[in-house]
Amino acid sequence: MEIMTDKNSAVNIKPPKSMSPWAIARRKFIRNKLAMISLCFLVFVCFVSFLAPYITTHDITRINMGSFSLEPSSEHWLGTDKNGRDVFTRLLYGGRISLFIGLACTAFVIVTGTIIGSIAGYFGGTIDNLLMRFTDFVLTFPFLVFVIVLNAILQNKVSGVWVLIMVISGLSWGGVARIVRSKILAEKENEYVLAAISIGCSPFKVIIKHLLPNVLSTIIVQATILFASMIVAETGLSFLGFGVPSETPSWGNMLSFANEPDVLQDKPWIWIPPALAVTLTILSINFIGEGLKDALNPKSYR
Amino acid sequence: MLKYTLRRVLAMIPMLFLISIIVFSLAKLMPGDSLGGEIDPANTDPEYIEQMREKLGYNDPIYEQYFRWITNFVQGDFGKSTRYKIPANEIIMERLPNTIFLSLTSLIITYVLALAMGIYSGRKPYTLGDNTIAAANYIGLALPSFVAGVFAIYIFSFHLGWFPSNGSVDISVTEGTFEYWLSRFHHVLLPAFVLGLLNTASYTQFLRNDIIENSRKDYVRTARAKGTSESKIYNVHIFRNSVIPLVTFLGFDIVNLVGGAIITETIFTYPGIGQLFLTSVTNRDYSVLMTLTMMFSVLTLFGNLVADILYGIVDPRIRLD
Repeated sequence: MEIMTDKNSAVNIKPPKSMSPWAIARRKFIRNKLAMISLCFLVFVCFVSFLAPYITTHDITRINMGSFSLEPSSEHWLGTDKNGRDVFTRLLYGGRISLFIGLACTAFVIVTGTIIGSIAGYFGGTIDNLLMRFTDFVLTFPFLVFVIVLNAILQNKVSGVWVLIMVISGLSWGGVARIVRSKILAEKENEYVLAAISIGCSPFKVIIKHLLPNVLSTIIVQATILFASMIVAETGLSFLGFGVPSETPSWGNMLSFANEPDVLQDKPWIWIPPALAVTLTILSINFIGEGLKDALNPKSYR
Repeated sequence: MLKYTLRRVLAMIPMLFLISIIVFSLAKLMPGDSLGGEIDPANTDPEYIEQMREKLGYNDPIYEQYFRWITNFVQGDFGKSTRYKIPANEIIMERLPNTIFLSLTSLIITYVLALAMGIYSGRKPYTLGDNTIAAANYIGLALPSFVAGVFAIYIFSFHLGWFPSNGSVDISVTEGTFEYWLSRFHHVLLPAFVLGLLNTASYTQFLRNDIIENSRKDYVRTARAKGTSESKIYNVHIFRNSVIPLVTFLGFDIVNLVGGAIITETIFTYPGIGQLFLTSVTNRDYSVLMTLTMMFSVLTLFGNLVADILYGIVDPRIRLD
């Protein structure tokens, strides 16, 4: 008990503690209205999409002979598509797939890019040379072309969403690796790194405990940009018919109905909902990214 | 500068070699006989197929097949299209001008719009005009090209009827006349705008921020103190400094156009090489597919080279390492 009171009085005497960089960033972010609205929207979209099975009652797979291309009504909020499936239900399930692929690709790309970038940046020399030449090589592939070709080869062997995730992330980690490497290169010149090495920290520990926390803000901003572009990549590929298998609902697959002129012209309720969903999601991610960039930048005072 | 350029060009050669190996391996991994097309698909007699495979060299060691392919490729023999039954280069050359026309129009639209909007926003920041442009930019950055394409067709082709929704030229006009070129231009305008939308938005934003940043620098204050007119400061002093970084993006434009052309041409059913690429994947037309994949890779490599060289021109420090 005595120790407790002592501690309390000590806290009371101390001058008000200055905020940590993360707390400052959090406060700046919360004050940014546009970013907060976007964040709420994104959380809402994720929430509704991932809980789709509990919210909706319509069957997404069964082809319903009686209700081809119905206009929006009280029973089908956004109408039905050409196979008689409820558009609203498919929109939620599609969001599940599209957001999941976006998140999974972002996670893979960030992890791979960070590992390769930090190893190349920290060790330098031959390792750096080898890894960066390899990164340059991966970056010279035209992304869309190779994803389509690889998907055409692999589609028959391993089916489904994971092929797409692997192919997309396998071709897009180069940019992150380059950025992380350059940040680590600049950061490792600091004296605290030398101090950490001199007291015998292993390279692994120096990278994880000392270097990565200092480049984390860059990685976070990169992750938001990537998340948006990964969703675009997935929906774009599915739209072209080289992404998720066509029977799986995804925003891109739903949008690909717009390739048929009569749907595009006369049945806008089939393709406008996924189009708006993709655009608004990306818009909100962009705003969040901008807000984070602003909040994590110590030079901006707002 | 010459030494730097030469070094960059030489560094491309091993990359080209590696890419050609990758493309060849991919074609080998594809189901069925790639590079084929000589075998009559109607004849299923196993003996005939085996005979043809032997004749075409599919049973040779893999490296011999690679060297035969690459030797032919370098000499301009890209194999025969299995679908169109004509040499692959003929069908590609037939579509290539359309894509070049589309890309060039798109580049011109991008730079004209970005320059006009960026300069206006940068000169009058935080005004109504600037905010309108900024809002349009945010939408432009968030609209994926295929969504933009679909909306563009829906609004401008179907509802307003301003632009045709597909094809590259009206079939009723005769080639070479003034109407023919007018029709082609009319057809290319909407896809070109959609193709350049993302770049327009990001360049506008870049130019605006750069102009605002430059307008706070000392040389601008000096110019003002000497009594230089405001329009001359913006149009000569700041413009020159802000447009230089924009020029270096030209290399990346080439890279972006490759991916963009595939999507845009498909939406607008514009007969270019992007659309040809997709149909060749669907039809398993391997010689066309491989040639196009090689072409796109070389273009990407070339785009990176252009970006590197332009960077070297703009920033002499880069030339040293």
